[in-house]
Amino acid sequence: MKKRLKGMLTLLMVLVVQISFAQEKTVTGTVTDDQGLPLPGVNVVVQGTRNGVQTNFDGVYSISVEPGSILVYSYIGFEPQEVLVGSSNTYNINLKVDTGALEEVVVMGYVSKRREDLTGSAVQIGSDELQQTPMATVDQALQGKVAGLQIASSSGTPGAVQDIRIRGISSITAGNEPLYVIDGVPIISTDLVGTDDNGTSSFSSLASLNSSDIESITVLKDASATAAYGARGANGVIVITTKTGRSGKTAINVSSYYGFTNNAIDGPDPLTGAQRETLYYEGIMNSYELNSMEEARAYELENFGDAAGYIAWNEAGRPETDWKELVTNHDAPIQEHTISANGGSEKHTFYASLGYYKQEATVIGSDFDRISGSLNLTQDISDSFEFSSSNTASHSFQDGLLEGSAYFSSPHTAKYFTSPLDQAFNEDGTYNLNTGLPNPLFIAENDIDQSRFTRILSNNSLRWMTPVENLSFTSRVSIDYQVFNYKSYNNRVSGDGDDTDGYGYEFARNTATYVIQNSVDYLMNLGDHNFDFKLLQEYQKYNRRFLEAEGDNFVTDGLTNLASSGNPTAVGSEFTDWAVASYLGTAAYNYDNRYVINGTFRREGNSRFAKENRWGDFWSVGAAWNLHREEFLDGNDLVNNLKLRASYGKTGNANIDINLYQVLFNYDADYAGTGASYPAGYGNEDLSWETSYTFDAGIEFGLLQNRLTGSFGYYRRETKDALLEVPLSYTTGFSQQVRNIGRMENSGFEAELNVDVIRSRDFNFNIGGNLGTVDNEVLEVAEDANGNEIPVISPNTSYQRSASGTMINEWFLPTWAGVDPDTGVDTYYTNGAGSEVTTTYTQANRVYQGSSALPTLTAGLNLHVDFKGFFLDASGYYAGGHKVYESWHLYLNQTNLYETATYNGYSSLMDRWQQPGDITRVSKVVDAYQPWTYSTKFLHDGDYFRLRNVTFGYDVNADALATIGVSSARLFVRGTNLYTWVKDDYLLHDPEVDAGGFTTITTPPVKSVVFGINLKL
Amino acid sequence: MKRYINKFYYVVLLVALAITGACSTDDLDPSLEQSKESENAILAVGDMEGLIKGAYNRMSAAGYYGRDYLVTNEVRTPNVFANGTSGRFTTEAAFAYLPNSVYMWDNAYSVIAIANILIGTDVSTLEGDQAYGEHIKGQAYAIRALAHYDLLLTYGQQYVGGDLGVPYVTEFKGGNDFPSRDSVDSNVENIMSDLETAFEMMNSDYFDTSKEFMSKYTAKALESRVALQFEMWEEARDAAKTVIDSGIYSIVPAEAYVSSFDDDGGTNSIFEIAQSTTDYPGSDRIDFIYRGSTYGDIEVIPEVMDLYDDGDVRADILGYEGEKLRNIGKYPNIGANIIVIRYEEVILNYAEALFQLGETAEALIWLNKIPEARNAELYSEVNVDNILMERRKEFVFEGLYYWDLLRYEMDVEKLSPLQNISETIPYGDYRLAFPIPLNEIDANSNITQNPGYGN
Repeated sequence: MKKRLKGMLTLLMVLVVQISFAQEKTVTGTVTDDQGLPLPGVNVVVQGTRNGVQTNFDGVYSISVEPGSILVYSYIGFEPQEVLVGSSNTYNINLKVDTGALEEVVVMGYVSKRREDLTGSAVQIGSDELQQTPMATVDQALQGKVAGLQIASSSGTPGAVQDIRIRGISSITAGNEPLYVIDGVPIISTDLVGTDDNGTSSFSSLASLNSSDIESITVLKDASATAAYGARGANGVIVITTKTGRSGKTAINVSSYYGFTNNAIDGPDPLTGAQRETLYYEGIMNSYELNSMEEARAYELENFGDAAGYIAWNEAGRPETDWKELVTNHDAPIQEHTISANGGSEKHTFYASLGYYKQEATVIGSDFDRISGSLNLTQDISDSFEFSSSNTASHSFQDGLLEGSAYFSSPHTAKYFTSPLDQAFNEDGTYNLNTGLPNPLFIAENDIDQSRFTRILSNNSLRWMTPVENLSFTSRVSIDYQVFNYKSYNNRVSGDGDDTDGYGYEFARNTATYVIQNSVDYLMNLGDHNFDFKLLQEYQKYNRRFLEAEGDNFVTDGLTNLASSGNPTAVGSEFTDWAVASYLGTAAYNYDNRYVINGTFRREGNSRFAKENRWGDFWSVGAAWNLHREEFLDGNDLVNNLKLRASYGKTGNANIDINLYQVLFNYDADYAGTGASYPAGYGNEDLSWETSYTFDAGIEFGLLQNRLTGSFGYYRRETKDALLEVPLSYTTGFSQQVRNIGRMENSGFEAELNVDVIRSRDFNFNIGGNLGTVDNEVLEVAEDANGNEIPVISPNTSYQRSASGTMINEWFLPTWAGVDPDTGVDTYYTNGAGSEVTTTYTQANRVYQGSSALPTLTAGLNLHVDFKGFFLDASGYYAGGHKVYESWHLYLNQTNLYETATYNGYSSLMDRWQQPGDITRVSKVVDAYQPWTYSTKFLHDGDYFRLRNVTFGYDVNADALATIGVSSARLFVRGTNLYTWVKDDYLLHDPEVDAGGFTTITTPPVKSVVFGINLKL
Repeated sequence: MKRYINKFYYVVLLVALAITGACSTDDLDPSLEQSKESENAILAVGDMEGLIKGAYNRMSAAGYYGRDYLVTNEVRTPNVFANGTSGRFTTEAAFAYLPNSVYMWDNAYSVIAIANILIGTDVSTLEGDQAYGEHIKGQAYAIRALAHYDLLLTYGQQYVGGDLGVPYVTEFKGGNDFPSRDSVDSNVENIMSDLETAFEMMNSDYFDTSKEFMSKYTAKALESRVALQFEMWEEARDAAKTVIDSGIYSIVPAEAYVSSFDDDGGTNSIFEIAQSTTDYPGSDRIDFIYRGSTYGDIEVIPEVMDLYDDGDVRADILGYEGEKLRNIGKYPNIGANIIVIRYEEVILNYAEALFQLGETAEALIWLNKIPEARNAELYSEVNVDNILMERRKEFVFEGLYYWDLLRYEMDVEKLSPLQNISETIPYGDYRLAFPIPLNEIDANSNITQNPGYGN
C-alpha cells in the first residue's frame, strides 16, 4: 500500500505546481421564467463543483465564485443556462422552458451528474413521491417506482424490514440486499433484531429516518453507476440524500396526517366450531368405515373418550369463539407530524426538523413510534472553505410480536391455531386461561416484546476550493451510532413462562460505524472537451458490542426486569468488528455534451478475507451519445432528447459473515455447568471476493416537447467466484464451507414510459409506468469427489435448491396430481408431472418446478391529474411470474386431526371430498395426524397487483392564503394498498411475501386511509 | 500568496496523514474476541477438557440425546404415540420420515468430529496433567464408538435386508471428505475396538461420581450393549461381567426406583447427560414433550399400564394428566439428567448373554435380580419373551425397546387405535431404517441411499 500512497502524494505535488491564484467574489442576481416571473428553487451551481445555492422565493440568489468559473442555472422543466463569471457582480438570468433534455441532477453518492452525463442506469425519486407512502420505513416508498426493483414486506408490523432486490438475485449465499448510502457515506442497514431474536418482529435500521427529511432517493443499478461502491455495489445501491437549507427567508413547513390502517388482505376465515365438529366426526366415519355421524360419536366415545372435546362443548351449549376477530385491531390509528424550517444567508444555510410518527399494528398488542430530529448546516468559513454537517437523531420504539414462526403466544398464530371451542373469557368476564394454546388476549397484556432503537447519524465535511482553479479537496467524517435494546418477558401465570415462573431475556447492542473520506475533485474544460476527475480514499470501521442476559423464576407479577428474576440462566457478551478500506478514482469526459465517457476504478480491502486475498479491484467503463445534441436533430420539434448509453464493469460482493476464512474454535458452549469448546467452522484460507460483471445498454428518449419520455434498456449480470455455502458431507463434522465457486447470471429488460397527455397551466394529466424483467440461471456449482454436482440448498428451505441450469433457489417439490375423485385422497406424480401417479407421498420424488420465489416481471404504474389546484395521484405495483408456498398447511389447510381436533383450519376446507365422484382439491377428512407432505398442491402463483397509493388533494389558492401569512397549503386524503388483485384463488394469504417465498401468518401488509395537511409559512 | 501555499501544504499533510493512517492490509485484521484460531486452541490438557465437554454438549443437543434420539426410538414402539399437540413426532411415529430429514446424522458426526480432534492430539506435547489427558482421550474413543453405534442402529441396513453400515470416521479433517458407507460388520468391529481402546486408556483414578462424564467402566457397559445387539453373546457376557465385577455400581432398590430418575448421579447410573435449570434445550427439552399441554405430544398407550404386576414400583412412572396416560417419572423435570446407560441394563445384558450361551440357570438368577428389586413377580423360567418383557418394563421411555424388537426380528405391531401407524410394520420393512439425509448424498455421491427411499 505504501507505494500507492506515494503515487497519490506525487500527484498532489504536481497539482501544487499548477496552482494559479484567484480571489473569490460574491455574485448575485434574479432568475425569472420567460414571462418574467421569479423562479424560486432554481439550482445555481459552480460547474464541476458541488458549490451551489438555490434561488429564494423572489428568485434571488447569491453565491461565492471565482471569476472565470461557470455558473450553471438549472430547474426542472427549464433549459439550463451557463454563464461565465466575468467582472460583473450581478447576473440576472431568464430561463427558457425546456424542450430539450431533462436537466435533472442525479445524486449518485460520491458524485452528482446531470442526466445527460450518465452512462448507466439510475432512477431518482424526489421527496414528493417519497411522501406518498405513509409508512414507518422510507424504503417502502420505492415499491413500483423503479424498473427492476423488487420490494416486499416481510411483515406489516410497523418498522419491520423490507426485502429489496435490484435486478434479481446476484448471489446464492452471500447477501442480496442493496447497499445504502446516506449523503455520500455507505451505511449499515441490517435487521437490528437479527439472529439474536427470540422470534420477535424484525426492525429495520431505516425506521430511524423520517421520510420528510429526505430530498431524494436514487437507485443505482448498473456497473457504471455502482462500481464506485466496488465490492458492495453488486446488489445495487440506494443513495439517500437528506434535505439541505436554501438561502433566503426562513421557510417553515408543517405537515401532518392522521388515519387508519387495516390488513391489506383479510385472509382466510377460520372454521367455526360447528364446521370443525362436522369435519371431525366425518374423519372418524371415513377412517373407521362408519355410516353416520351418530355412529362416529359412539365410536369416538368408546375408543378415545371425548378426545377432541366436542361432547363437552355440546353440553356447554356450543359456544363459538371467533379468535380472528378477537385479536384484530380494527382501524388501527396511524399518524405523522413534521415541522421543519430552512433558510440561511449568503454564508450559511440550515435545515432543521422535528418529526413524530406513531402507528398501531392491525393486531392487538403491537405498535411503533418514533421521534426524530435533524439539523443540516452549511457554512462558508472563508472564501475557500466550506463546512457542511448533516445530523439526525431519533428514538424509535416498537412493541413487537413473536411472529418469526408460528409461536403459540403470537396473536397471529392464535387467529388460526386456537380452537374455536376454546372460550376467550370466563363467565365472570376474566380471561379464560384454560385454553389449549395460550390465550392471546391475556398474553398481549402480560407478555412483553419490545425494541428500542436510538440512532445518531452525523456526517461532517470540510471542503476547500483550492486556489487552483476547479480543484477542490473534501474531507468527510461520518459517525453512525446505534443503540438497540430488546426486552422480552413471559409472564408467570400463563403461556411460555408459566412453567418457569416467568421468563425474561434482554439484550443491548451498541454499534458504532465510522467512515473517513478524503477526496480530490478536479474539473477541466478545454474548449468543447470537458473533464471531471475524482480521487477518493475511504476507510470504514464497524464496531459492535453486544450484551445479553436471561433469567426465570420471577419473584412477583408486574415486575418484569431481570433484576426480579430469581434464577439467572444465561449471560453473554460479544465484540465484533470489520473494516473496509478503499481507493477510488473516477474520470468523466464529454465532448460538447454529445459524447460522454465515464470510467471508474476502485480498489478495496475487506477484513472478511485472509491477508493474501484481502484486496480486490473493481472497475467500470461507460459511454453515452446524446443524439439530440447533434446537428441533424438540432431544433427538431419531434425529438427533444435521444440518448444511447452502454456500460460494462466489475463489482463485488463480500456480504458474508465475518471470520469465515479462519479455522476457529468457539468457546460459547457449556456442559455440566462449565465452559466447553468446539471447532466453529471448516475455514477457507482462499476465500475472496465474489464478483459480478454487468453489461448494460439502453436508449432514452423525449419526444414532442418531452411530452413523451422514456427509456428502454437491457442488462446482463454474470456472477463469478460466487461465495457459495458448499454443502459438506456431515461426516466432516460440518454442514457447509463457504467457497468461491459457482457462476450465475441475471438478465432482463427494463422500460420506463411517461406521457403528459395534457399539459397546461390549469390542467395537467400525466400517466406513466415502468417494468423490469429478471431471468436468472445458475451456470455452475461445486462438485464432489466423483464430479457430481452438489446442489445448493436454499437457506430458506430444503424445498428450494440450485444446480446448473436451474433458477436460483428453484422450487424443488413433489408434483401433486390432484385428489382422486374415487377415493378422495391426494395423489402425486412419482417423478414430476406426467409420470406415474401414486397415493403414497413417500414414493413421490421431488423435482425442479421451473419457478422460484423471485418475480420474473415487476411493473409500476402511476398517474397524476391536476386541475385548478385539485390533484389526484395514483400508483400501483405488479409482481408476477413467481410462485409462493403456503406455510403451515399441514396444521391449517389439510383434512386431518390438526385441523379438526388440535388446532383449527380454514373455512375453505368445507369443500372437502365426501363421496366418490366429488371433484375438489380438498382431500377427504381422516382421523389421523398426517406427516408433512410438501408438494405443489400448496405452491401457488404469486402474481399480484397492488394499488399502492391514491392521493386526492387540493392546493389552496395562494392569494387567499397570503392574508393569513401562509404561503402555501395543501389538504389531502391518501389511501395506501386499497386494492389488491391476486391471480391464484388458492393463495389465501397476502401475496406480498418476503424473498424466501413462504406466505406467513405474521402481520400482513396494511392498507391505510389518512387525512393530511401541509402548510408552508 | 504565501498564506495560501502554507495552507495548501497543511491540507496536503492532513490528507496524507489521514490516508497513511487508515489503510494497510494489517489494519484490516478482524478482532477475535470470542474465538481462538485453531493453532492456539489446544495447548494444554485443560484445553482437551474444554473440547471433551464440547463433545458431551453436542450429545446433549435436542436433536440427539437431549430429546429426539430417545423419543424417536420410543415413539416407533407400541409404548407411546404422538398426539399432535404441537405437531411433533407424528412423522416419526407413523414411520413416514423422508430423506429430507437430517435427524441425528449431523449431530452424531459433529460429536465424532470433536472426539477425533482429541484422539488426534499428541498429549505428550501439552502442558498440564498428561495422565488426565490420556484419560480424556479414552473418553473420546468411547464417545466416538457410541456415536457411530447410534448411527449404525439408525441408518444401517442390518434390519432391512442389507449389509451397509455408516462411514466410520476416525480422523478430523483427515483428507477424505467424501467417505463411502462401510459394512455393518466392519462398523461393529470398529465400535468394539474403540470401546476396548477406551477401556484401556481410561484410568479408574479419574472416576467421575457425577456420571456426567464417561469413566473406565462406561466403555465396558457400552460394549455389553453393542455386543448384545449384534448377538456376540460371549463378548456381551464378558463385558457385562467386567462391569459387575468392578463393584462400582448397584441396582437401585424398589423404594428409590422412581426418585432415581430425579436424583442425578445415582449408584445405578453409569453415564448420563447433564441437564440443569440453566442448561437445557429450551422448550425442545425431553420432559416438555412427555408432559404438559404446551407440547406434551408423547402420550402413553393405555395398555402399557397393564404390563406391570400389582405392586411393581415401575408402574409409578406412569400417571395421568386429565385423561391422558403419561410418563410422569422419567425425565421428570428440566434439571434431571438424561440417563444414557445404567447398571440394570448391564445386569439384563448379562442375563440374556448367559441364556443365549446356554447357561440357563445362571441366567434366571440374574434376570430375577431386576423384578426382585421392583416388588414385581419373579420369573420361573428364562426365555426370550421374558427377557424382552423385563427389558420393556424396566427401560420404558428410555429408547431401548425399538432395538430389542428389531434384534429379535419382530414386527412393530399395530395394537392400539391410538398408534400413529395404520397397520403393522413387518420386520424387514425398509422404513425400519432411517433414510440417509439427502443433503449428505448431495454433498457426497459416494454415499448410497437405503432401499425404498427416493429423494
